[in-house]
Amino acid sequence: MSAIRVSGVDVAFTTASGPIQALSDIAIDIAEGQFCVLIGPSGCGKSTFLRVIADLQAPDRGEVQVFSGNAAEARRARRISFVFQEATLLPWRSVIDNVRLPLQVGNWKSVGRPHRDPNELVQLVGLGGRESALPHQLSGGQRQRVAIARALVTRPDVLLMDEPFGALDEITRERLNDEMLKIWQETGTTIVFVTHSLSEAAFLGQSVAVMAAHPGRMSKIVNLDGEKPAGAIDRSSSRFFDITSDLRRHLETAEGMAMT
Amino acid sequence: MMTILRPILGLSSLVLAWALAVWLFNVPNYISPGPLGVAKAFSNNFGALVKNLVPTMEAAVGGFLIGNFAAICIATVFVHWTRVREIYLPVAVFFNTIPIIALAPVLILIFGLGITSKIMVSAIVCFFPMLVNMIRGFESVSSSELELMRVMSASRREVFFKLRLPRSVPFLFAALRISATASVIGAIVAEWIGAELGLGVLIIQTTFDYRTELLYAAIATSSLLALCMFTIVVVAETFIVRWRTS
Repeated sequence: MSAIRVSGVDVAFTTASGPIQALSDIAIDIAEGQFCVLIGPSGCGKSTFLRVIADLQAPDRGEVQVFSGNAAEARRARRISFVFQEATLLPWRSVIDNVRLPLQVGNWKSVGRPHRDPNELVQLVGLGGRESALPHQLSGGQRQRVAIARALVTRPDVLLMDEPFGALDEITRERLNDEMLKIWQETGTTIVFVTHSLSEAAFLGQSVAVMAAHPGRMSKIVNLDGEKPAGAIDRSSSRFFDITSDLRRHLETAEGMAMT
Repeated sequence: MMTILRPILGLSSLVLAWALAVWLFNVPNYISPGPLGVAKAFSNNFGALVKNLVPTMEAAVGGFLIGNFAAICIATVFVHWTRVREIYLPVAVFFNTIPIIALAPVLILIFGLGITSKIMVSAIVCFFPMLVNMIRGFESVSSSELELMRVMSASRREVFFKLRLPRSVPFLFAALRISATASVIGAIVAEWIGAELGLGVLIIQTTFDYRTELLYAAIATSSLLALCMFTIVVVAETFIVRWRTS
């Protein structure tokens, strides 16, 4: 069953220098439980596309289906969680209270789904013992871990992540990638993950959608299911190198398309 | 400790300079008394000073509470109904251009010589800084914070209480610091125009009677009142705002 089905989506923005076609005729079908990575040159509308799925941006044309309903219905049913590039923690709330936030707003009680234990989630993201710390006392990586715990607390069917580790250093980013993969395997949530890092895409993606810019559109969807049977892959293996090179080639093709 | 000692040193040096100037230039007492004379007037007239302090304090605290509360409520309305804000905020800006000393007689004509007009003047002085600060505070939320709330399908009410209101707290305290001292100014200005009792009345009377030592003592008392209110605000802030924006 497909978790997210998008067809014929157009989004245009009006700017001071005229209209910009952010997305043009986007179509993708993301199966339930899939880890889908979106990659593409900057300005290709990856973030816009994610925001369309989250019902943060209304498409000018086209259809977005999230499970049985449209994006707005999925949002109101609290089936979607979003992790931003900035952790976006409320600075006056402690770690544990930030993780609890989704359960305190948006009619969560009437949704009636069993939620996850916030304390357990703080443990899961490796911040056990820091429950009462305030965001300004945490590092950038730790703040992003809290944001991930907050996104998971509602047991979302769809987890949308917009360059969540883009502002972190390489080592922290790789560690969080390892943990992200574990979290995905443990929860079975459908994840759509935007990045502009090739190695992040190669490591995390079960399928990688390569986008092209001006206007933003799908260029190629690479399925890595066969390449990574166990889900994870050794970053120093030649297979990982091959996947990365392959993705780079697709990305270059996408950029070439944009230039013509 | 040094942070308290240094300003005390600064104040003492100025008091010393004042004493020296009065002594060196042989300034007559009715023009400017020395610090010692003021201290003596302070202790000799302590009862009278307290008697006059109480109504001023009531007016200042009353105006502080009412003016700030009204401003917070109206800022809340303005943030939720942009149209109302577009209609009335310029009017508020216009009213703020009227000097309070010009407005005070009007209020005394309307509300009489009692405490009501004093509270009104003090409240008006507090109102505008709080209104402007709270509008800014409520709007200091980032677009990603608003998007986070939207993804969680939070209601307007939840966005206000869980996001806008806590976000605005530093702005609230910035305005409270201003109005803590401004409320005392408002009360004293109202007392100048017309009142039976109060530090403002005492200041006017002692000026006309050349009781300059008592005048200085009254000024020091009003300054102490403002300082106390300011200190309460600062202490409350350190207890309430423990977070920082990274």
